Amino acid sequence: MKKLLISAAILAGTAFGLSGQANAACGDFQMSDMNWPSATLMANVDKIILEEGYGCNIELIPGATTATFATMNEKGQPHVAAELWTNAVSVELEKAMAEGRLHSAIRGPITELGEGWWVTPGTLSRNPEFKTVMDILERPDLFPDKEDPSKGAFIGCPAGWGCQLANQSLFRAFEMEKKGWVLVDPGSQAGLDASMAKAAQRDENWIGYYWAPTAPVGKYEMKLMDFGVPFAGAENWDSCIALGPEKCGNPKPSAWTESVVQTVVTSEIKAMPDVMEYFGKRIYPGPVMNGMLVYMEDNQATGPDAALEFLEKHQDIWTKWVSADVAAKVKKSL
Amino acid sequence: MGSRLFSMGVKMLDFFGDFPDMSRRDLRDFKLAIDGAFRDFSRTNGEAIEAFFDPLLWFLIKLEKLLLAMPWPVILVIVAGLCFLGSRSWKLSIGAVLSFMLIGYFGMWEDTMSTIALISVATLLCVAIGMPLGIWMAKSDRVQSIITPVLDVMQTIPIFVYLLPVLMLLGIGKVPGLIAVCVYAMPPMVRLTNLGIRLVDKDVLEAANAFGADSKQKLFGVQIPLALPNIFAGINQTIMMALAMVVIASMIGVRGLGIPVLQAIQNQYLALGLMNGLAIVGLAIIFDRVSQRYGKRLQQHRGGHDHD
Repeated sequence: MKKLLISAAILAGTAFGLSGQANAACGDFQMSDMNWPSATLMANVDKIILEEGYGCNIELIPGATTATFATMNEKGQPHVAAELWTNAVSVELEKAMAEGRLHSAIRGPITELGEGWWVTPGTLSRNPEFKTVMDILERPDLFPDKEDPSKGAFIGCPAGWGCQLANQSLFRAFEMEKKGWVLVDPGSQAGLDASMAKAAQRDENWIGYYWAPTAPVGKYEMKLMDFGVPFAGAENWDSCIALGPEKCGNPKPSAWTESVVQTVVTSEIKAMPDVMEYFGKRIYPGPVMNGMLVYMEDNQATGPDAALEFLEKHQDIWTKWVSADVAAKVKKSL
Repeated sequence: MGSRLFSMGVKMLDFFGDFPDMSRRDLRDFKLAIDGAFRDFSRTNGEAIEAFFDPLLWFLIKLEKLLLAMPWPVILVIVAGLCFLGSRSWKLSIGAVLSFMLIGYFGMWEDTMSTIALISVATLLCVAIGMPLGIWMAKSDRVQSIITPVLDVMQTIPIFVYLLPVLMLLGIGKVPGLIAVCVYAMPPMVRLTNLGIRLVDKDVLEAANAFGADSKQKLFGVQIPLALPNIFAGINQTIMMALAMVVIASMIGVRGLGIPVLQAIQNQYLALGLMNGLAIVGLAIIFDRVSQRYGKRLQQHRGGHDHD
């Protein structure tokens, strides 16, 4: 009797031990788990598919655009950044790609992306004459800054984000200070979201920077404003606007550049043909991503939870990214 | 028999594996109910609460504008004057003026003025609210048992957990920043005041009773003066913690030294972060040394065991 219990315990112990062993055919590497919902969803979906389907062993490393790119560029870690918004680091990235240190596994892993200046729906319903950003810039009085009501408040990007420099440049290019605006630094993503959420919930006018796909844009039905001026060229953007007013004194007025999002990998990953093939096929349709983001918001789901939901609910989408037997292995593990 | 025991064993191991938690659906409904309730609260009372804080906001804005507008020699003279008034020490006053000059020379003047405006109001508020609260706690064990857990929450709860509701009600800016600083910096003041007053020698209190002192005379004549070392330790901690919160305040839109530090953190600008960080440290040391000297001067009459 005692012997039976002991052997049962040993069996159970070895079963637990064995299940921890991953098939090391693919390898160990690190993926960046960036600190916004779509990025963490993508990172976790990738982790599940690559681990269950291809036998990789993946460690998720938290990060954000500029910091993660810097470590990938300098140290080669993490090895994969699934949703890298490369506008902010385009010059450095091109240099790294030319030198063969970094590679793009896919351009545009999510369709219908965009950065820009957004307003609350109430702003447009109260002021139907606002057709472009240029119209709005003439009326700072409709967007009073809480701390200086004589000026209009434009909510920019938090300190340290790549878009902060672009917003500062555009602020200067559109001569917004002269028109009576002040560029508010919200301090953090939480500050930016809270500012937008408060304005949307209290139905106040609000204009600021944001991007899609995101849950807040969907949840508060924010409207993307046409800039009213054309995009003034990649040269103007990359070597002037994106570098900020410290490094470039005379930015030309321009619409926001097309947002380029790439999955960037290091050379070690490029040498894994299965993984690269998977990344090359892995495209999320924009509306599906937005839907997942609203799900994550409503259910306060973390990355791993949302990844499981995506894999269960959208099998028609992800099974197309992988071969049939990989899909079967992943489905079995759900 | 053996296989039944085996499957029982495995089931037990399963049960003891993951903690048996609420079903996901119930947990989600619970969380959503709380969020919904808060959203309704914010919709109905948000404007009234904002209006309540408007005078404070107006004061903070005016103070910042005043400090930014004053010519720097005037500020240096005021700094020297306040330092000397508080500490009666030439060395300290000159050191403070030199630090400010260094701060200005390295291009951090405007940010420092903004930070001083916010932190000095925050520190004054913390002391003005914290000390009476500490005295009240010292008088009654029941009050102490109620307030102590509140202080524990204030000191340990992650900042953004209570800041998010505040931000939804008040937006980003100086008032939420002030609230964040005060919530974090007030508990040391309260605890140390409470401690100081409770530690006053029972014999001395009895002697005061014997001389016919009433509560008010005992409080102001005996307890507070004897508790001053602890009270000033509380002020020191409050100043330190308030300045430590400068960066977090900047994360919710407060201008000041925290913004360049945030930039430095995100973009790995080592020198920028170091310089602004040291400016914050410098401010903390100046505020603290002046207040400590002032405290020592208040206790000069005790002589004897209080050495410099």
